[in-house]
Amino acid sequence: MITVRIPTPLRPMTGGKGEVEATGGSVLELIDHLNGAHPGLKDRICDEQGEVRRFINIYVNEEDIRFLTGKETPLKDGDEVSIVPAIAGGSHG
Amino acid sequence: MISIPATIWDDMIAHARELDPHECCGVLAGKDGVISAQYRITNILASMTEDELTTFFEKGKLSDLKNLSPDERADIAFIMDTMEFSSAVKDIRQKELTLPIFYHSHTSSPARPSETDIKKAMDFETMREKLNFPEPRHLIISLEEKSHPVIRAYHIQNSLSTEVPVQRQ
Ligand SMILES: [Zn+2]
Repeated sequence: MITVRIPTPLRPMTGGKGEVEATGGSVLELIDHLNGAHPGLKDRICDEQGEVRRFINIYVNEEDIRFLTGKETPLKDGDEVSIVPAIAGGSHG
Repeated sequence: MISIPATIWDDMIAHARELDPHECCGVLAGKDGVISAQYRITNILASMTEDELTTFFEKGKLSDLKNLSPDERADIAFIMDTMEFSSAVKDIRQKELTLPIFYHSHTSSPARPSETDIKKAMDFETMREKLNFPEPRHLIISLEEKSHPVIRAYHIQNSLSTEVPVQRQ
């Protein structure tokens, strides 16, 4: 099993859970499996071409998958995957 | 007290002025209370599509932003380019620095965190410990008075912000 950490903005799609378990041999497979359990989640993480959205960082353990092999990054039992939205903010409310 | 070298302090103001009326953003790092590295990061908000915005912002902020042109959206908010951010984090780790500060500008409001700033900082807070990322401080450059930029930094915790003194050195 792989532990997936869900950021606050996506928790409405996982019934409020900040951590869910899933399986998958790669990040892409994991996202597909997550989407099976939580329909719509993939859309929030990937664009229409299936690429990870440019304002989402995915970390396997502590490493950004962009420095590994992207969405093809292999996963093994016990890995921890974190989905982290870009640093953001605003003014005027 | 966090000390920021004059070159970095002045470059943050220059960065804010270059992008005005858009918000600028970036990352600082250092150790033992002294900043030694600065990374300008691209604010990707103006280049984001409505579809992308919808997947990123909560409804309240979203309706504010959707009423604006893409260009105007970057006047009231920022989103850091994730690739540039991750490269900065990698460099910070290689240089064995810590003391991360996320900075951004407010081009027409005071140098204090907005509701969105606090909300987004708290969202990051729920993720960062597990990623072994040190607790950041948040610095704002206000260009509300164009000829008198104001810089203030904050510690945001439990949805409250407390000012952290910073000095130009
Ligand atoms: Zn702000």
